[in-house]
Amino acid sequence: MRITKSTPELPAVERGKSIEVIVDGRKVQAFEGELVSTVLQAEGITVFGRKHQTGRPSSVYCGMGVCYECLVTINGAPNLRACQTYVADQMTIETAGQVKP
Amino acid sequence: MNDIVELAVIGAGPAGIEAAVTAAQAGVEVILIDSSARPGGQYFKQLPEAFQCEDRTEHHLKAQKLFQKLASSGVKVWPNTLVWGIFEGAQPGVWCLTLHGKDAPARLNARMVILATGAYDRSIPFPGWDLPGVVTAGAALTMVKHQRLLPGRRVLLSGSGPLQLAAAAQLAQAGAEVVGVLESSANLLWRGIPYLPALWGQWSRMREGLGYIKTLVSAGIPYRTGWAVTAAHGEERVREAVMARLGRDGKPISDSEKTVAVDAIVVGYGLTPSSELIRLLECEMEFSAGRGGFIPRRNENLETSRPGIFAVGDGAGIGGAEMAMIEGRIAGYAAALKLGHGAEIQTRRAIIQERAALRREGRFADLLGDLFSPPAGLYTLAKDDTILCRCEQVTLGQIREAISYGTQTVTDLKNLTRSGMGNCQGRTCGSIIAQIMAAETGRTVQEVRYYNIRPPVHPIPLWAIEEHEPEQ
Repeated sequence: MRITKSTPELPAVERGKSIEVIVDGRKVQAFEGELVSTVLQAEGITVFGRKHQTGRPSSVYCGMGVCYECLVTINGAPNLRACQTYVADQMTIETAGQVKP
Repeated sequence: MNDIVELAVIGAGPAGIEAAVTAAQAGVEVILIDSSARPGGQYFKQLPEAFQCEDRTEHHLKAQKLFQKLASSGVKVWPNTLVWGIFEGAQPGVWCLTLHGKDAPARLNARMVILATGAYDRSIPFPGWDLPGVVTAGAALTMVKHQRLLPGRRVLLSGSGPLQLAAAAQLAQAGAEVVGVLESSANLLWRGIPYLPALWGQWSRMREGLGYIKTLVSAGIPYRTGWAVTAAHGEERVREAVMARLGRDGKPISDSEKTVAVDAIVVGYGLTPSSELIRLLECEMEFSAGRGGFIPRRNENLETSRPGIFAVGDGAGIGGAEMAMIEGRIAGYAAALKLGHGAEIQTRRAIIQERAALRREGRFADLLGDLFSPPAGLYTLAKDDTILCRCEQVTLGQIREAISYGTQTVTDLKNLTRSGMGNCQGRTCGSIIAQIMAAETGRTVQEVRYYNIRPPVHPIPLWAIEEHEPEQ
């Protein structure tokens, strides 16, 4: 749910260049300057990871790099914070998948 | 790297920028370190560089002025750099910072350090609080302001304090359907009367607050005081929120419960100081509920019990951006004097002036801290199967069992249950488990204390240490 409205308090932005990232093997449009978490949320992906202890889903919570709930695999490197990582063209992002194991 | 910089400032938010600039203007060599790509912290968070925006808001212009001051100050800024530890250096009077970042050295030696590490949202657990779609007020504001993203289409806010009013107003303006704003404190107007003198002179803040309320009223958004979210339902994401009116003790009144369909819940029960590095240094701490919990004891120059280590801004006690900037300037002046820079008399005079401003801001911070302290009864919302430590998936039931073994402090609970040992290093659950342990054992939070902390204070890849620390 990207915001497209413009208000005095929240003037509209022109996002960066349109790029393409690969989320769980699927091509997804993104914009330069967006965070990995933003692109996933805009795609309607809510489950970023699953807790290895219990299988419970986890997702963005604090949005500022404190809680480590939004961990995903980026370009093959595991356990990176989606809310602290900006997207780049052809970046691969792997979530835990949307179906319970 | 054997060079020793005079002053390292950690955190480039309002407090850190003012501290760094003030010291640099007095002639100090300063390195300002921040984990983000661009300075500003959470309060003055900048848009990503790739985004274009014509922003003429007062807030943006204020931020720009601060950034310009920083750019012309001679302060060296090290962005994208995480400080994962501070240790006594090889020589006396030198502190060694251990760093992780693409362009950062592994270590930085500094004669003095100003910690301006900021704060993050305080959480209060309830059944379902760990479902995707439940986010903090800070997260919601970051999504909206920094990314132009809505956390959901139908949003309920629950928490305490002005931050959630700001979040609600922004969400509503940006096009979200805000189904309500729940404020856990009751009788705000009546309880606010003793604080009226502290409001004198705070006109721009009151205008800001009234602006938020106007936005909510004109959008027909209900604002309920003495209410809170008590549970979230859903499978893979939140679908429903349960809310209830709170009794005098802060416990929900069960026959007042209502259920609403939502796809996001924004929770914000005030802020917690980010005190990990302060605790790692074993600075003397004191407890202040109104300032967000355990905070470092500081002298009037804002120096901690460790000589040469200063702590300023929300990371040293919640007080807001204005107070943080004043504190930053005081510590910047004081560090410059200690390092032998600056004209002594003028600098001391400047410190005295800043202290008067600090007292004024302190009264306002006390007002917010007292009016918007979440009631203790809210900590009874969690059930035995509710997760308290999200990283290690430790439930309230497990914590209760560990308490029954005769544990004395939250660090005992950590050792028994692994709570606080995960990726976030106890940032999210630390204050929650302290509150619950205190309540269950009839003791105070001062007695059950805070988690011990160990380096690294943020997870870093093993290779990051290995590479720079070859076997001797």
